[in-house]
Amino acid sequence: MVRFFLWFLVLQAALFGLELTPWAQQWFVVPWTNTLAAISAGIVQLFDAHVVAHGKVLQSASNGFAVSIEAGCNGIEATIVLVAAILAFPASWKRKLAGLGIGIVAVQGLNIVRVISLFYLGQWNFSVFEWAHLYVWQALIMLDVLVVWLLWVRTLPQPNADLPAVVA
Amino acid sequence: MPSGSFARFVLLVFAWLACMLFVWWFASPVLAWPISLLAEIASRVALPDLVQAIEQHGDKITFVTSLHGANATVAAAAGGLVSDDIDVRHFTFGLPLLAALILAAGAPHRARNLLIGYAILLPFQTWGVIAEFLEDIAVGFGPGVASQTGFSAWQREVIAFGYQFGALILPTVVPAVVWVLMHRRLLEDFVRKRAR
Repeated sequence: MVRFFLWFLVLQAALFGLELTPWAQQWFVVPWTNTLAAISAGIVQLFDAHVVAHGKVLQSASNGFAVSIEAGCNGIEATIVLVAAILAFPASWKRKLAGLGIGIVAVQGLNIVRVISLFYLGQWNFSVFEWAHLYVWQALIMLDVLVVWLLWVRTLPQPNADLPAVVA
Repeated sequence: MPSGSFARFVLLVFAWLACMLFVWWFASPVLAWPISLLAEIASRVALPDLVQAIEQHGDKITFVTSLHGANATVAAAAGGLVSDDIDVRHFTFGLPLLAALILAAGAPHRARNLLIGYAILLPFQTWGVIAEFLEDIAVGFGPGVASQTGFSAWQREVIAFGYQFGALILPTVVPAVVWVLMHRRLLEDFVRKRAR
């Protein structure tokens, strides 16, 4: 357990530090965030044709309201936490890669729901938008990470005798 | 915790989270008091030349500095002392998440776990508050204020990292980690039942 948490903290800090470097921002964070905005716009356009994405901004062409997807809202920090938790946990690389693939999709999927919901909440009521943006969705995304990680841990083959030692 | 129980647990977390967010929102001024106290102690020990006083106004903590405002656009009249208001809620919203997880798990000693969890979160929340203050005076308020702090380039980098880590990672990750550590037996049951 101690080893898992130490690795978890080290990996998390290292990945987060890497994310903040200009290189990672230019080649990973910005393209990722722009893609997130484009996917969100593509989904919204299925029922609202007046929405466009330019760069990391999702904007309504009808009333001009726009949200800019900034750090903390692009799901990268949540993904870093999930990646660190999966990599730090004792499991085969095959299981880890499967967990990462499915887990990242789950976290980013919910993050798209966050972006779209905030886009419409902001047009409806800015106070509610602020509440949801700063507090509710932050908690929900971390809850998503925790649930995904718990479900992944549950899929791991556990020899009964070693089970408590692995989890605890 | 079998699959059905796990789904029930997740639903309970959602329900408790909604309740706890409201409780936390209205209790924030009270919950901010220990953070204000810790921030004051930390500032007196580590930043005695920069911070003159710390005041709490509801859920805001104000750092009154010994720095002079370079212009009227920073948080002081031109030439006056710079003060910085930090919204404590930005760093404490993990508390309702932790409370929701503890209450939904239904393990024994919930009240004790809530108190222990709250106490464990406090230093991390204080970290966030102080890191935002440091980031403001080292970067956010501009070169006129930053030049008075005496921070070197690498110190500003460390402050920026500490602020980002304290704002984007710690508020939600620490409650989740605390909850996992408090509920190891529950999680063992959850995994063991799947393995059978």
